[in-house]
Amino acid sequence: MTNHWLSVVVFAPLVGATINWLIGRRVRSEAFIGIIACGSVGISTVIAFMIAFTEANGAALTNDAATPVMSHLWTWMQVGTFRADFGFAMDRLSGIYACFVTFVALLIHVFATGYMHGDRGFYRFFAYLNLFMFMMLTLVLADNILLMFVGWEGVGLCSYLLIGYYFNRQEAGDAAKKAFVANRVGDWGVILGIMLIFSLTGSISFFDKPAMEGVGAVESFLTVARGMPVESFTWGAIFAGGLTSAAVLLFIGATGKSAQIPLFVWLPDAMAGPTPVSALIHAATMVTAGVYMIVRCSQVYVHAPTAMFIIAIIGAATAIFAATIGLAQNDIKKVLAYSTVSQLGYMMLACGVGAFGAAIFHVMTHAFFKALLFLGSGSVIHGMHHEQDMRRMGGLKKYMPITFATMLTGGLAISGIPIFAGFFSKDEILWKTWSTASLGVANAGQILWLIGAVTALLTAVYMTRMMVMTFWGGERFREVPAGGQASEAHAHADDEDLKPHAARFDSAGDRPRHETGAHVGDAHHGSPHDEASDLTIDDDEDEHAAHHGPFTPHESPWVMTVPLIVLAILSTVGGLVGVPYALSSLIGLGDINYFEHMLEPAIAHAPGEHGAAANGGGTHQTPSASNPEWLSPPPQAHDGASPLSVGDGSHGEPGGGRAHDPHEVSMERLFTGISIVIALVGIGIGWLMFQKRPLLAMPRLLENKYYVDEVYNASIINPLKTGSRNVLWLFFDVGVVDGIVNGVGRGTREIGSVLRHLQPGFVRSYAAIILFGALAVIGYFAFSAYQVLPFTR
Amino acid sequence: MQQYLLTILILLPVAGAIALAAHGLVAPYRRESHYRWIALGFTIATFALSLLLLSGGIGEDATGAFKFVQNVPWIGAIGAGYHVGVDGISLWLVLLTTLLMPIAILSSWNAVEKRSLAYYASLLILEGAMIGVFVALDLLVFYLFFEASLVPMFFLIGVWGGQNRVYAAVKFFIYTAVGSLLMLAGIIALYFIHAQQVGFGTFDYVTLFEALREGRMTIGARPEFWLFLAFAIAFAIKVPLFPFHTWLPDAHTEAPTAGSVILAGVLLKMGTYGLLRFNFALFPGMSRYFAPLMITLAVIGIIYGALVAMVQPDVKRLVAYSSVSHMGFVMLGLFSFTEQGMQGALYQMLNHGVSTGALFLLVGMIYERRHTRMIADFGGLAKPMPLFATFIVFASLSSVGLPLLNGFVGEFLIMLGMWNSGFDYAWIATMLAATGVIWAAVYMLWMLQRVLFGRVTNAHNARLPDLNAREIGLLAPLLALMLLMGAYPQPFLNRSRGSVEQVRVRVAAPHTGGTFTAGVDKSSNVTGDR
Repeated sequence: MTNHWLSVVVFAPLVGATINWLIGRRVRSEAFIGIIACGSVGISTVIAFMIAFTEANGAALTNDAATPVMSHLWTWMQVGTFRADFGFAMDRLSGIYACFVTFVALLIHVFATGYMHGDRGFYRFFAYLNLFMFMMLTLVLADNILLMFVGWEGVGLCSYLLIGYYFNRQEAGDAAKKAFVANRVGDWGVILGIMLIFSLTGSISFFDKPAMEGVGAVESFLTVARGMPVESFTWGAIFAGGLTSAAVLLFIGATGKSAQIPLFVWLPDAMAGPTPVSALIHAATMVTAGVYMIVRCSQVYVHAPTAMFIIAIIGAATAIFAATIGLAQNDIKKVLAYSTVSQLGYMMLACGVGAFGAAIFHVMTHAFFKALLFLGSGSVIHGMHHEQDMRRMGGLKKYMPITFATMLTGGLAISGIPIFAGFFSKDEILWKTWSTASLGVANAGQILWLIGAVTALLTAVYMTRMMVMTFWGGERFREVPAGGQASEAHAHADDEDLKPHAARFDSAGDRPRHETGAHVGDAHHGSPHDEASDLTIDDDEDEHAAHHGPFTPHESPWVMTVPLIVLAILSTVGGLVGVPYALSSLIGLGDINYFEHMLEPAIAHAPGEHGAAANGGGTHQTPSASNPEWLSPPPQAHDGASPLSVGDGSHGEPGGGRAHDPHEVSMERLFTGISIVIALVGIGIGWLMFQKRPLLAMPRLLENKYYVDEVYNASIINPLKTGSRNVLWLFFDVGVVDGIVNGVGRGTREIGSVLRHLQPGFVRSYAAIILFGALAVIGYFAFSAYQVLPFTR
Repeated sequence: MQQYLLTILILLPVAGAIALAAHGLVAPYRRESHYRWIALGFTIATFALSLLLLSGGIGEDATGAFKFVQNVPWIGAIGAGYHVGVDGISLWLVLLTTLLMPIAILSSWNAVEKRSLAYYASLLILEGAMIGVFVALDLLVFYLFFEASLVPMFFLIGVWGGQNRVYAAVKFFIYTAVGSLLMLAGIIALYFIHAQQVGFGTFDYVTLFEALREGRMTIGARPEFWLFLAFAIAFAIKVPLFPFHTWLPDAHTEAPTAGSVILAGVLLKMGTYGLLRFNFALFPGMSRYFAPLMITLAVIGIIYGALVAMVQPDVKRLVAYSSVSHMGFVMLGLFSFTEQGMQGALYQMLNHGVSTGALFLLVGMIYERRHTRMIADFGGLAKPMPLFATFIVFASLSSVGLPLLNGFVGEFLIMLGMWNSGFDYAWIATMLAATGVIWAAVYMLWMLQRVLFGRVTNAHNARLPDLNAREIGLLAPLLALMLLMGAYPQPFLNRSRGSVEQVRVRVAAPHTGGTFTAGVDKSSNVTGDR
């Protein structure tokens, strides 16, 4: 059905951004800016939920026919047979996404009004944040892949702007540029993937759209792909120019946006942005866009087993690689950043083994608990007066009880303790990996499961380490810091009084200023003092004396703790919507896996397993080396989908055709048990290793992140710069081409000097000579052209 | 009125130049500041008049016929006529010219201190010549305008340019003049071929086109080979196509801001316009024959221009090299011979004029303040000049092809067209061209970072005044266009569809005339006949 309120969901944040950019900058009232920013996202949230759940608005998530709600605005480009609309659609997949994105974003916006209090760029921050919401919702709700790409690049732009928010800091600028360029490398793949999809299927629309006034009907490329044969599982398929090639090209984009090997390097650096940005963009929403795209195009992927295999391998490798690095980081945000990369690896692994529903489930629970952890870390940083180094924390649970309790929830959720949200989603991914039938290599599922299980163990260990270093043990912040950097991070409160808006741009890292007078006894206002060796042209920067004594950490104000509490609740119960049959049946609840049933119409299954037990973990295929299902022609299972429906035929009737093989169910329960043991062991190891010795030195290779950045610099970036400068520009452009041109010119001048005695020195004579010269040349050319060209037919 | 409109558009700026001269000679209280007002008035009037072209029904039918046609005999003895008209291809280019001109005048408001009368007169004459190039339908008239545009630009660079202006001006002149002489020879040859086969000689484009299409006139393979080259080299230098590009960085860098804007915004398009209008329509067989070579050079230009742009220490030179890269995209789209590619190329011509024009304006603004263009002399400008920072980031994003801004539409359509062009290895060309989006991000963002972000390291930059109302006013229309053309390109594309199709059908279909013979094949080193 058509419902133009859907466009309001997308455009409300854009209006908010515009108001804040144009009016907010003049008003400079934090209340005004905050209300506009949170209000616009609030409008999106409310309308998104209404469209998702209420019958009158289309009930995109709950209507029985799984009919998407659509809003066609205008035809964006139409040239020849190529057509891209500017229109939005909410189906089961984008509905789930839109709901959790708007809701989590609303909480983070509220949190940010407290966190960014006193910042000179307050309006700018919220304008960017709202612009991000516009782009993210465009990405999610776009009804065709090119418009999705608008959001895809747009969120990259906002990420660039927000990472570089403290723009006069070198590392923020570097990180921002790195993020944009790494994403652009991925975008290269997306653009080509889109073009290949168009040339294969003749469409770029996600949905079958009926004809409307002025525009014709469109068939979804997913519908077309469904009718195409599954491609063979060979390396050659990647370069064959078929669906496998398209799938791989799109996945290149996903490695950029979702920070997978080899393009993950930008995400840890992106922590130079303010913490709410890290929570919203670099944990909960934008970085999962790659997963979204793959699930959205799952119909393409199930026809491309080679691409699926690559995704699974890359996902698993990224998961364990990032987890080991996360083990050795000392910056609280860096730990969480690598943790995010690792969790994104899990989601990719799930996509690779065909468990698209599990991937989206993990995206959602991850949004809850990782946003919670990031906001919690922001609260810690806020309370610690802009300290991010966990080596200077410790014992904070006494001072920040709410932050502690909520972060503990998040830590348990990500570690995979039962009941908490992360448990169900991660457990499902691991089980689906073990039991997968979609990988064309014998025992690949088991090997990948082992990698996933080790990663789960490492996750529990580094999370415990982070919690222990931050909240337990001695109060190391009272000790005199060795490096002296921490002392520089605190400027005296007097500065605030002297210069109300001074040095906002100069705060180091993600270190916003405290609110004045919000906390009793909060004497320290952290406008951190940058290197004092700078030129004294910025006189407002050098007035920050770095003299201060020991301080007491404090709990954050309610605008920051309330979002934490809400997210903590979601991190606890949010996973219950997706309890698999194997567990819910254990306690007599029957099949209550609402999440997968809801998502079912929007995702594709390998043609071989169409109609089989597609959810609840009850797939009955056993891995086999040859895996003939991939090679068999796909059953043409058209089930009379309405013209206005998801371009995917697998409208598995919920409750129908799902077999719960008792053996499979008991196996799944066994693996759940193993998962719980892994989580407990990991937490135990973490506690035993770090509780007594929180500053235990970690391997240098891990602390230095395997030197990946250094390798990239030495092997790609530096040769490119040197080559471009010395070979292309100075040698070829200036040397060769201009050399030839100037050589000819010099020769002409020599001739000219011989003829110099002809110059009478009068302008009129010059003019005459030029005229006759020109005529002579023209005449010569005309004559010779006539002579040279044989005018024959 | 209809048939005189184009002539009025050509002559109005020239009348403005005459008015300037008259004012300088006659008016008793003449003051330097009057000239710019006169020039502004005439360019705005021209722009306003040119908007009437939109009412002419261009693009409403699929035939792509010429509108506002005026065709009168001129030199009867040689059959030369004054024939002008506008269709979907030239419509937007004319409007781009008339839009950029007042902006260029405004950008020179305080920058030009010496000989302002001659300066503004040059700009006005240039405008008349440029409009003439786009509307001329007689090859001789086209050639005259093509050459006429060279002279004022030569003076603009050579007199009002930077330190190395004379070298740059001479280089620009010689490069372009060499090319256009070749074209003149080609035009004359066409005249004689027509005379020989049809019975009377003509320079008229429409007559030649119809004669060729209907088979009344055929050009043998060998002459077509040379004719194509004669035209193509003239246009390739103008575009500029790699490796004929080395005049461009010098000319762009040394030219005054207005000169750079016009040069990048309009003059380069004369090359791609010429290829589309004349080479494709008159020599379709050879256009197909040379396409692999042209595509290869275009792709090299895209990557080469971007990589060299990356390492430039001079902002203006960086933007100049980025033009080489962007115009490579236009060439790629044209030679894809697909609807998407050619429409995208035409669209990209407009985009490049808007985006690169805006970038040159912005660079000019900081040049006026600091009298340097070296990236190393800047740094941290976002702090003293937040508005400038916003505008240049916006224009840069348009230039790197961010979706929803104009550059993306053109680049995507071009790549889509190339991908589906059916050439062997078209996918490799597309994949290589698509790396242009990565390089563009690298060089642009790196430049932005070094100019805008970080700490203010140079004391001269700490107190720079932000953009004033005039500067905002001249940038605002361009920024608005970037957004409009990115989000709602269909009205622009619809207008040009018919005319582009007309040419495409001609160039993509097998040629009725001479086919390429083995004998000529040996004589050339071009391979990859299609």
